[in-house]
Amino acid sequence: MTQPQNIPKIPAAGYELPLMLLTGLIIAGCWALIPGALAGRAPEFSLLQLAPGAWLLLRIDPLGVLFTATITPLWLLALIYSRGYIGTAHRDRYYLVLMLSLPLALGVAWAGNLLTLLVFYELLSVLSYLLVVHEETPTAKAAAAKYIVYVLVGGSCILLGVVLVFYLVGGQTFAAEPMLHAGLGWGYLTAIFVTLLAGFGVKAALVPLHGWVPDAHPAAPAPFSALLSGVLVATGAFGIIRVTHQVFGVELLRELGFMHWVSPLAAIGVLAAAVAAARQDDLKRRLAYSTISQLGYITLAISLLGQELLVGALLHISNHAMMKATLFFCAGLLLRRAGVRRVSEMAGLARRLPWTMAAFTLAALGMIGVPPLAGFISKWVLGMGTLATGQPLYLLVFMGGSLLAAAYLLPVVYIAYFREPVEEEWKNKAITERGAGWMLIPTLLAAAATVILGVAATAPGLPLSLARVAVSPFW
Amino acid sequence: MEIVDPRPLLALGISLACALLVFATGRHYGRRVLWSMGAALLKFGVVISLLPGAMAGEVYLFRLVEFPPGVGIGFRVDLMGLFFALVSSTLWIFTTIYAIGYMRGEADRAQVRFFGFFALCVAATVGIAFAENLLTLFIFYELLTVCTYPLVIHKETPAALKAGRKYLIYTLGGGGLVLLGLVLVQHAAGTLSFGQTGLLAAGAHDGPLGGGPLGGGQLGLIFAVLVLGFGVKAAVMPLHGWLPSAMVAPTPVSALLHAVAVVKAGAFGILRVIYDIFGLELLAQLNFTQALAWLAVVSIIGGSLLAWRQVNLKRRLAYSTVSQVSYILLAASLLNPTATVVAIMHLANQGFAKITMFFVAGAIEQGSGRTEINQLDGIGRQMPWSLAAFTVAALSFIGVPLLAGFLTKWLVILGALEGEAWWFAAVMVISGLLNAVYWLPVVYRAYFRPVTGVVADPGWLLRGPIIACAAFVVLLGTTAHFHLLPFSVASEAARVIWAEVAN
Repeated sequence: MTQPQNIPKIPAAGYELPLMLLTGLIIAGCWALIPGALAGRAPEFSLLQLAPGAWLLLRIDPLGVLFTATITPLWLLALIYSRGYIGTAHRDRYYLVLMLSLPLALGVAWAGNLLTLLVFYELLSVLSYLLVVHEETPTAKAAAAKYIVYVLVGGSCILLGVVLVFYLVGGQTFAAEPMLHAGLGWGYLTAIFVTLLAGFGVKAALVPLHGWVPDAHPAAPAPFSALLSGVLVATGAFGIIRVTHQVFGVELLRELGFMHWVSPLAAIGVLAAAVAAARQDDLKRRLAYSTISQLGYITLAISLLGQELLVGALLHISNHAMMKATLFFCAGLLLRRAGVRRVSEMAGLARRLPWTMAAFTLAALGMIGVPPLAGFISKWVLGMGTLATGQPLYLLVFMGGSLLAAAYLLPVVYIAYFREPVEEEWKNKAITERGAGWMLIPTLLAAAATVILGVAATAPGLPLSLARVAVSPFW
Repeated sequence: MEIVDPRPLLALGISLACALLVFATGRHYGRRVLWSMGAALLKFGVVISLLPGAMAGEVYLFRLVEFPPGVGIGFRVDLMGLFFALVSSTLWIFTTIYAIGYMRGEADRAQVRFFGFFALCVAATVGIAFAENLLTLFIFYELLTVCTYPLVIHKETPAALKAGRKYLIYTLGGGGLVLLGLVLVQHAAGTLSFGQTGLLAAGAHDGPLGGGPLGGGQLGLIFAVLVLGFGVKAAVMPLHGWLPSAMVAPTPVSALLHAVAVVKAGAFGILRVIYDIFGLELLAQLNFTQALAWLAVVSIIGGSLLAWRQVNLKRRLAYSTVSQVSYILLAASLLNPTATVVAIMHLANQGFAKITMFFVAGAIEQGSGRTEINQLDGIGRQMPWSLAAFTVAALSFIGVPLLAGFLTKWLVILGALEGEAWWFAAVMVISGLLNAVYWLPVVYRAYFRPVTGVVADPGWLLRGPIIACAAFVVLLGTTAHFHLLPFSVASEAARVIWAEVAN
C-alpha cells in the first residue's frame, strides 16, 4: 500500500466561514418561524408590483415554513462540504451563485401567489445553470445545455398557466380556499392544469419530463448534486402541491378527474426509474434515477388527493432531501478521495473509507424504508394514506418502489463491503486526505439527521407535526 | 385640458440648434462634445418638464403655421407622444456619450457630419413624437429618412453606399405610401388633426360602414397604405430588407436606427394610425387589425428564425429587431387596454435592451475588430462588464422575470387572452424561446469557451452607457408601480386613449 499522497491543503478563499455563519443565521431564522406556523399563522408581505394587479407577495404559511425549515440546513451542509470539495477553479462564481440561490429558494417557499412563485422559481432555475455547468467539462456543458432547455420550456409553460389564472381570477393570494371553480369552463381549466403541471413537472422530474435529471446530477459538483436532488427538484413538487391544493383545490380536481391521468404516470415513473437506476454503473447517475423514482412517490401521493397522503408527500420531501444529500455527499467523497465514479470500481472500498460507506449504508437503508430511519416514516405515512383513500393498488407501487430501491442501493453497499478488488492497482489505490474532514463532517451530520428524522419523527416542530398543520386547511 | 405651450417647439429647437452649432464650429473636439452633450441634457430636461403636467391631464399645444384651417405644422404633447419622446431623448444622452468614445479615432470632418446629422435625426424624432397632425408627422418622418442617410453611408465604402441606396429606396417608398394615405385621409375626413377618437370615425359615423360617406373598401385602402408605409421603417416583414443591410454603418448609427429613432418612428406611426386616425371604436367594427396582427406574427417568428441563421453579431441583432418591434404591432392590434399599455411600453423595453446589445457589439468591434459570433470565444472574461450587460439584455428578451422583457411578455399574453386570441399568447411564448435559442449560445460562447486573442479596453465612455442601459432594463422591469416612471406613463397614456372611447 502506498503512502497517502501529500497534496497541499486547499487554500481558503476567506469568505467560507462568514458564509457558513450567515447561513446558520438564516437557518435559525427559518426555524424560529416554526412555532408561529404550528399556531397556524400566515403573515403576508407585499414586496413590489410588477404589473397592474400583479404583486410580488410573500406569505409565510405553514407549508412554506416546513419547506424552508427542511431545505435551509442543506445549504449549510453543502457549504461546509464545498470547502473540501470545490477547488480554486471558478470558486468565487460557485459561492456567489450558491448563496444567491438560497434567498431565491426561500422566495419559492414563501411565494404568496402564483406570480411570485413563478418569478423566484424561474430565477432559481436559470441561476442554477451556473452550478450545473460549474466544472466546465464537455459533459458538464452538455448536461447544462440540456438542463437550460428543459427549464426554459418548462418555465414558459408555467408562465402561460399563471397568466391564464391571472386573466380568469386575478392575482389571488394562496389560501385555503382554491382560486379556481368549475364555472370557468372545462377548456380553461384543462389548459391551466396541463401547462402548470407540465411546467412544474419538468423540475419535479415527472416522467416523461425527467430527461435532464440523469445528466445534470453526475455533471454537477457533489454538494450541488445534493441540493439539486434535495431542493431544486423538490421545488417542482412543491409547486405541484400549490397548484393542486391551492389553485384548483381537491374538490374541483376530483370533479374534473385530471388526477386519473397523473397517478398512473407517476406510478410508472416510480417503477421505471427504479429499474433504470439499477442498470446504471455511474454512481451519481444511479442516484439521479433514484431521485426520479422517489419524486414519483411524491407526485403519486399528491395526485391521489388524500389528506394523509399529502402529509406523507411533504414528509417525504424533507426526508428524501436529507437522505439523498447524504448519498450524494458520499458519492462526492468517493470521487474526491478515491477517484471512484462507478459502482463497479467500489469493490473493497468500505475498508478504505469506513465512515463514508457507513453513512452511505445508513442513508441507503433509510431510502429503502428500513425502520426506524427517516424513509420508513414517510413510507409508513404514505402507505397508510393510500389505504385510507381506498386505492390499495397504488400501495403495491410504493412497496415495489422500495423493493427496487433495495435492488439498486444494496448492491452498492454489498460491493463496497464484501467484494474483493480484482485488479492489483485498485488494491493499492491511494486515498487522498485532501479536504476529507470538511466533506466528512456534513456527510455524517446528514446521516445522523436521517436517524433523528426517523426516531423522533413525532416530536413537535419536526416535519411530521408541521406537515399536519400545513395540510389541515385543505380539508 | 389643452394649453398653449412652446416647450415642444423648444425641445425640437434645441436639437436643431445643436446640429447648426456642430456644423458651424464642430471641427473643434471640445465644442463638438460640448454642444452635443449640452443639447442632449437640455432637451431631456425640457421633455421631462412636460411630464408632470401631462400626467395630470394637460395637453400642450403649439401651432407653428397653418395653411387652410386644420392643416399645418403644429405640435401637441399627449402622453403617448411624450413617452416616445422621453425614450428617444433618454437614449440620445447615452448614445451621445457612447458616440464620443466610439468616434474618437475618426477624422474631424467625419465626426462633424456624424454629430450634426445625428442631432438633426433626434430633432426629427421629437417632431414625430409631438406632431399634432398627420401632415406634421409626415414631414418629420421624411426628414428623418433624409437625415439618416448620411449616417448610414458614414464609412463611404461601396457596401455602405449600396446600403444607403437600399435604405433610401425602401424608406422613401414607404414615405410615398404615407403621403398617399395622408391625402386619402384629408379627402375622407377633411382634417388631419390627432387627438380625437379617430379622425376617420367622424366620417363613418352615419352608419356601420356602407351607410356613411366612407365605404369599407376606402377605409381598408387607407389602413393598408398607412400601415405599410409606416411598416417599412418598423421593419415589418417582408418590408425589412433595408435594416440588415444598414448594419454597415457605425454602431451609434445602428443604435439610432434600432432604438432611438428610426424603427421606433415606424412603430409609433402605426400606433397613431390605430389610436388617432382610425380610433378604437371604428377599428373594432372593421377587422383590419386582425390582418395586422398576423403580419406582426409573421415578423415575430420569421425575424427570429432569420436571426438564428445569422453568423454576424450585428446582423443577428438586426433580425432580432424585426422580431421585437413587431411585438408593438401585435399588441396594438389586439385592441384592449392591457395590450395598449404594452404596445406603448415596449417602445422603451425593446429600446433599452437592444441598444445595450448594440453598444456591446460596437465595443467588441472597436476593441478587437471581431464582428462574427464564432469569434466571440471567451470575450466575457475579457470584457466582463459589457458582457454582463449583454447577458441582462439577452435574458430580458427571453423574458426572465424582473427584467423589462418579462413585463412585455406578461402583458402581451394577458392582452391576447383578454382579446380571446390565445394563439397570440402561444406566439409570445414561442418567440421567447426562440430568443433563448439564438441569444444564449452567444452568451455561452462568451463565457465558457477558451479566451482567444486580445481585446483592447473599451474605456468608460463606452462601458458607462452600456451599464446604464442594462440598468434601465432592470429598472423598467421592476418599477411598474412607481408614479412618473415609464410604466405609469405608458399605462396612463393607455387609460387616456380608452377613456376617450368610453365617452
